[in-house]
Amino acid sequence: MAQQTVVAERAALQVEPSWRARLRAITTPAFFIGPALLLILIFFFIPVILTILISLTDMSVATISDINFVGLKNYERIWRSRTTMKILKNTFIYVGFTLTLFNVGMALILSLITTHIPERVGTTFRTFWLLPRITPSVIYAIMWTWFTADAPYGIVNQFLSPFGITPKNWLNAQPWLVVIAANGFVGTSFGMIIFTSAIHAIPVDYLRAALVDGASTLQRIRYVILPMIRWPILFVVTYQTLSLLASFEYILLLTDGGPGFYTTEVWSLYAYHRALSNYFGNVQFGFGAALAAILVIIGVIASVVYLRVFRFSEMVAEPKIEVL
Amino acid sequence: MKRRMRWVLLITVLMVASLILVACPSPTPEVIRETVVVTKEVEKVVTREVQKIVTKEVTKVVEVEKEPELEVIKLTAWTIGPDEPSFYRRDNLIDAAKRLNQDLEALGSNVRVELEATFDTGDWGDYKQKFILAAQAGNAPDIILSSHLDVAPWSEAGYIIPLDDYIQEYWEETYQDIIPTLWKAVEYKGKKWAVPQDTEARPMFFSKKLLRDWGWTEEQINALPQQVRAGEFTLYDMLELAKRAQDEGIIEEGNGYWTRPKKGADFYHIYFAFGGEMQDPETGKLVVVRDALRKWLQFHYDSVFTYKTTPEGFIGTDWKIWHETVSKADKVLFWNGGTWHWAEWTQKYLDGNEDYLWENVGFMLIPAGEPGLQPTTLSHPLVYMVTSNSKYPDLAFRIITLATTPDLNSRHAVNSAHLAILQSQINHPVYKANRFLQEVAYMVEYTNFQPNSADYGEYDRVLWTALSAVMAGDMSVDDAVAFVEEEMQAALGDKVIFK
Repeated sequence: MAQQTVVAERAALQVEPSWRARLRAITTPAFFIGPALLLILIFFFIPVILTILISLTDMSVATISDINFVGLKNYERIWRSRTTMKILKNTFIYVGFTLTLFNVGMALILSLITTHIPERVGTTFRTFWLLPRITPSVIYAIMWTWFTADAPYGIVNQFLSPFGITPKNWLNAQPWLVVIAANGFVGTSFGMIIFTSAIHAIPVDYLRAALVDGASTLQRIRYVILPMIRWPILFVVTYQTLSLLASFEYILLLTDGGPGFYTTEVWSLYAYHRALSNYFGNVQFGFGAALAAILVIIGVIASVVYLRVFRFSEMVAEPKIEVL
Repeated sequence: MKRRMRWVLLITVLMVASLILVACPSPTPEVIRETVVVTKEVEKVVTREVQKIVTKEVTKVVEVEKEPELEVIKLTAWTIGPDEPSFYRRDNLIDAAKRLNQDLEALGSNVRVELEATFDTGDWGDYKQKFILAAQAGNAPDIILSSHLDVAPWSEAGYIIPLDDYIQEYWEETYQDIIPTLWKAVEYKGKKWAVPQDTEARPMFFSKKLLRDWGWTEEQINALPQQVRAGEFTLYDMLELAKRAQDEGIIEEGNGYWTRPKKGADFYHIYFAFGGEMQDPETGKLVVVRDALRKWLQFHYDSVFTYKTTPEGFIGTDWKIWHETVSKADKVLFWNGGTWHWAEWTQKYLDGNEDYLWENVGFMLIPAGEPGLQPTTLSHPLVYMVTSNSKYPDLAFRIITLATTPDLNSRHAVNSAHLAILQSQINHPVYKANRFLQEVAYMVEYTNFQPNSADYGEYDRVLWTALSAVMAGDMSVDDAVAFVEEEMQAALGDKVIFK
């Protein structure tokens, strides 16, 4: 009864809005959201549409003055090619391991450790971890190349040879290990910064309360810290997945997709190789565009899955209890 | 009366002055000075009139006598080594531009050329990608130096222009001197799209030092190139020898035979050595000879896994490590490379000590794949092209022409260990004095070219993928042969013939 009264009162209070108010209701959000929408339109939707259109042609350097519509032929070639599954598998290996071991895993461990030790030491430690991030990609990749080079050049061999391990070119012998580590040391710093600031933002009362309740450090992490930084974890996982799916610069510089039969060739690098890089000058824009279009689809699917798994809508919903 | 006389005099003087001015289209100061001498009464009036004219006319005279304003036309050129000693690919163009300016000055032209030329020492793939993107964006340079293999795709794309008319214009002056076989490298669909810049041979190098340490006599060592030339020493003889050297501890396992460490054309002479062909002369279509393909893949498989003369995981080795190792000639017995490496090793890895190479490194043709087949090598001429983006193609071509001279080409050839493109270079004193170029000259008779085909990029991609997979142990030879056929058919369809 009381509830009905409240509803009736609210209804009575509602006045038909003026046309100005209605216009403002449309223009104000449009004003704020417009620039972002424009950017998305120019830099995402239009390129995606162009990519899809190009993927339906035989466009290459040699045919650029006489482009033919070939329908889904490029997609059919991708489907039938024996390299497709290999490259797809490589992509999952690369994204999966780099993400779990470094971009989220190592980042989380580092941020937890550096927030549980004296502030100055933690800050210094984190600063050192930023070094790979601020080193130019080419220099960083060259450092890895020489670091893992065969004897007598590589430092890795100098460390391992006293243990009886035969010197070798580690980049060729264990390409995935090197590629994931090289990417991971750069990727870790991003998550580390986000997680560290999220941990610092946890009201200290919660942590003290846990201490008073007798929680151990691990319990405090498990039951207080991790649940409270769920949103930053979702953000880092989603962002870094999409970022890794599209990134290939370190693989290009380190192994160029090799050695051997597409050993470290990931989807984005394959698209780059086919669309933009050909040793004898005739790049395949159409085929490369088809590969890129598939990558966009994979990215969109991954985003939707993440948003569902992490229940993104719940996290951005208005709080059920209004504080103050 | 006197007053009237004064008026008559004034009018007379004015008339005389007007007549003088009309009669003298370009009066000189002397003439004017003469005009100034008048009777005292009218002096003021006349002076004013004359002063005005003087100013006007003197200005005119200065304009005529002034040095004509120069029209400076800016042109750009991109060149690449990537080997550093090949910098004359750029510098020859710069010197040619200077010569062009001298010619223009001698002809009294007010046009001058300013050439901005670059020399790239990076990767071929990046260089070509940069050009393709620049050409697409309409920012291509006027002159581009690249592989003759780019003629086909780039002409199809409209990035470069045909040069037949220009070449004809300077035929007597310059182009009749080009070694005739090199014209094939720049022709596509009946037109000439480029001018050869240099060419080379790709020998099999070997360590005289290691053979000597093994007990070979100088006579035996020096006889090896001749045995190869006569077809008496095959590729598998080479692997056998390398294996024995490994087994007897002369060299370490995996140091018997080194290929090029990265992607490139230096693998295809082995395909030719097994009787391979790349293009059908009748139709111009690309060709894969199945038997040669299998033997080509098998040879590389055997070198890595059967004889263990090439290390596993070798492809991808850093170029610097490769050069530092082979140039010392104390670890690896056989390795294939290009003539230009001779200059690179001398200048970059041996502090200019060419004698060390003569003492310790030998070179020969790529041995025949099997008895009865021919030894071989591969040439990959680099060429200058004029882009369709150029607003001054005639001037760009004139620069290329002036860079195609015996003196400029010889200094490039000698400095970078590339072979002559002009017949007159063979007898040029600078070229003739170079021992290395003289001793590799015979290899040209055994050379092969890769085909000028717009689809060669795809053809090469498939072959390279299969070869690198076999060398890494990721594919068996049978699988690789099947992969080549399957992938080539998917990518090129009936544009490739399997024999």
